[in-house]
Amino acid sequence: MTSEPTPAPSQAPDAAAPTSASLPFEPHGVTWTPVSPRLASARLTSIALVLGPVVLLLVGLALATKAVWLWIPAGVVALLALWGALLVPRQVRAMAYAERDDDLLIRRGIMFRSLVVVPYGRMQYVDVSAGPFARRFRIASVQLHTASPVTSASIDGLPPAEAARLRDRLASRGEARLAGL
Amino acid sequence: MSTVVHDEHVPEEAWRRVHPVTPALKGWKTLVAVVVIAGYQAADDVRSAADLLGGPGWLIALGIVLLVALIGWGYAAIAWRHMRFAVTDEAVHLHSGVLFRTQRQARLDRLQAVDVVQPLLARLVGLAELRLEVAGGSGSAVQLAYLREPDAQALRSELLALAAGLRRPSSAAATTPSAVTAAVGTPVTTRPEPAAGPGDAPAVGTTPGTGQHGTAGEAVLADGTVGDTRAAEIPAAQTPVASSSATLPLPPAFEEAPEQEVYAVPMPRLLAATLRSATVVGLVVLVVVAVVSAVWSRDVGILAVLFPAFVGFGGALWGRVNAGASFRAAVSPDGIRLRHGLTEQRAQTVPPGRVQAVRLTQPLWWRRSDWWRVEINVAGYGTSEDAKRATVLHPVATRDEAATALWLVLPDLGVADPRALVDAALSGVGDEGGFTPAPRQARWVDPIAWRRHGVRVTRTALVARSGRLVRQVDVVPHERTQSLGLEQGPLQRRLGLASFVVHSTPGPVSPRVDHLDGRVAAALLDEQAERARTARAAARAEQWMRERS
Repeated sequence: MTSEPTPAPSQAPDAAAPTSASLPFEPHGVTWTPVSPRLASARLTSIALVLGPVVLLLVGLALATKAVWLWIPAGVVALLALWGALLVPRQVRAMAYAERDDDLLIRRGIMFRSLVVVPYGRMQYVDVSAGPFARRFRIASVQLHTASPVTSASIDGLPPAEAARLRDRLASRGEARLAGL
Repeated sequence: MSTVVHDEHVPEEAWRRVHPVTPALKGWKTLVAVVVIAGYQAADDVRSAADLLGGPGWLIALGIVLLVALIGWGYAAIAWRHMRFAVTDEAVHLHSGVLFRTQRQARLDRLQAVDVVQPLLARLVGLAELRLEVAGGSGSAVQLAYLREPDAQALRSELLALAAGLRRPSSAAATTPSAVTAAVGTPVTTRPEPAAGPGDAPAVGTTPGTGQHGTAGEAVLADGTVGDTRAAEIPAAQTPVASSSATLPLPPAFEEAPEQEVYAVPMPRLLAATLRSATVVGLVVLVVVAVVSAVWSRDVGILAVLFPAFVGFGGALWGRVNAGASFRAAVSPDGIRLRHGLTEQRAQTVPPGRVQAVRLTQPLWWRRSDWWRVEINVAGYGTSEDAKRATVLHPVATRDEAATALWLVLPDLGVADPRALVDAALSGVGDEGGFTPAPRQARWVDPIAWRRHGVRVTRTALVARSGRLVRQVDVVPHERTQSLGLEQGPLQRRLGLASFVVHSTPGPVSPRVDHLDGRVAAALLDEQAERARTARAAARAEQWMRERS
């Protein structure tokens, strides 16, 4: 559902009006760049690393004490893990960004969708970060900060080279279009 | 601590200290804190505390209190020795700290607001604290405490004049202070009238020389670089202004820019409005519940619950009255001036173009009197408890005053009939006043207030309307938009709706338009991004007196 193809740029004239009500998150003439699928692997691994031991511990306890009720939390946690495993790849597929001439678009979410438009001139600083886990999967995240704390403009799951390129590009564009507050 | 490179620009004689009485005033806080903590502890176990104080214990207690007071004052005195500040043409430098030293440099062209705060104790001895807000989130303010009150006022005028782009006269020019005064003072006489649109403003300037200063702020949006206007900084004065060597401090170089009062809040109205608030409603409900349950259970002890409630609610009410008492707003070339406070008095100056967003709210119980509360976002004030007092533009406004307050922030609403727009925004529903309302499907997600959700985009600002029980109107000038967003939940998607969000700096206003038609919201996002970009490109310089021309 979120991986619907962007409308063909040939329908350019009515740039401000998306064609269908289901497409407010598909502005015209925007080419989205998806994030790396390795982000899904990274997130799945972290789910497995956190919830796996919990399930194993609960199952072990249930087997050892022969307490039947202990199977219930074990099952709940296992279901949570399964739900996460099903959801995460789709979520990651829904995340994308697009660089336009004057602003950066970031899109995410399946159930609760959001689209953020950050003008380059409004950027105060850019963070590039990669934890030990993300480094292992060769991904990094780029976060844009404006003067507003509610601007939730972070792009997770970028290949490091792309993250560095994006950072430099954002910095140079921000400088070119710098505005005060 | 090694000196920073920037310090080379600050001549040694430019450094100043705060008033020597400061440690005495600040030391009290330590003592009060200790006494309060000890009081809480003693209250837990009154009997043993009484036993202790009955014997020779009270001597020990007194000794401890004295010791703490001495330590507090001693530390404050050392801190005072280590604190010094300097004002140059470009920035305010502040060095402070005893163990961990900080050197803070606040650039004046990033100045967001200047407040003179007088707590009760400081006011009694004629001192005041000066707070400079720069846009750096909470804790970024430069606090100069305490200065003699006239000094604080003079320093405020100086900072505002420097931030506005006026230059300190060089020592040569200082021999003709009248010229300088003329340069700083003239803008004042040419304040635009409330009704003045952008086209009218230039006509208000009395002479060609002075017109450039005061009123041009509202009108001149021409492009051009700031750099080449340096030569014409003070055209009226014709003084030989030294552009680089003018860093010598000349104490009263700038006169306070005169102001004109716009509105004042009468005390009876403030009291009436405070009594008709959610706090009082909650208190009444609590009293009724307590009395009913006391009667029901025949246990008068339940009423004891009311005592802490009265204390708490009373404190909240007192806080509101205290903050809003003798609230006055005025306009000056330096921007909006706000004065308020009963025990702690605060005089705020928010320069032009520093207000990021405005919110007008009307709770249900203010509906009959048609009162409104007007709040603003100013970068730097943040969202702390203290900031909640600073971000009020009008604690309780009539409809006319609310419109005036909005005019203070946004002199040009970008429509032919601003008053009609304000009326439609404040109490209209549906598509009244040219608003784009939420479609009918929105009633499934917001059955009560769906007719009030709406947005109107004018040439200069975005006006978002919402709330039926608590009416709410948010106004954001296009050039103050930080970033934009679009949000959609599963239910909204089913109904073809989406919410449009405007991200503003931290503060009480967080503008958003809920449940718009999906296509409308998407188009709005696109157009608004474009409009914000155009408005930013045309926006005035940060230094509001030094217009691009």
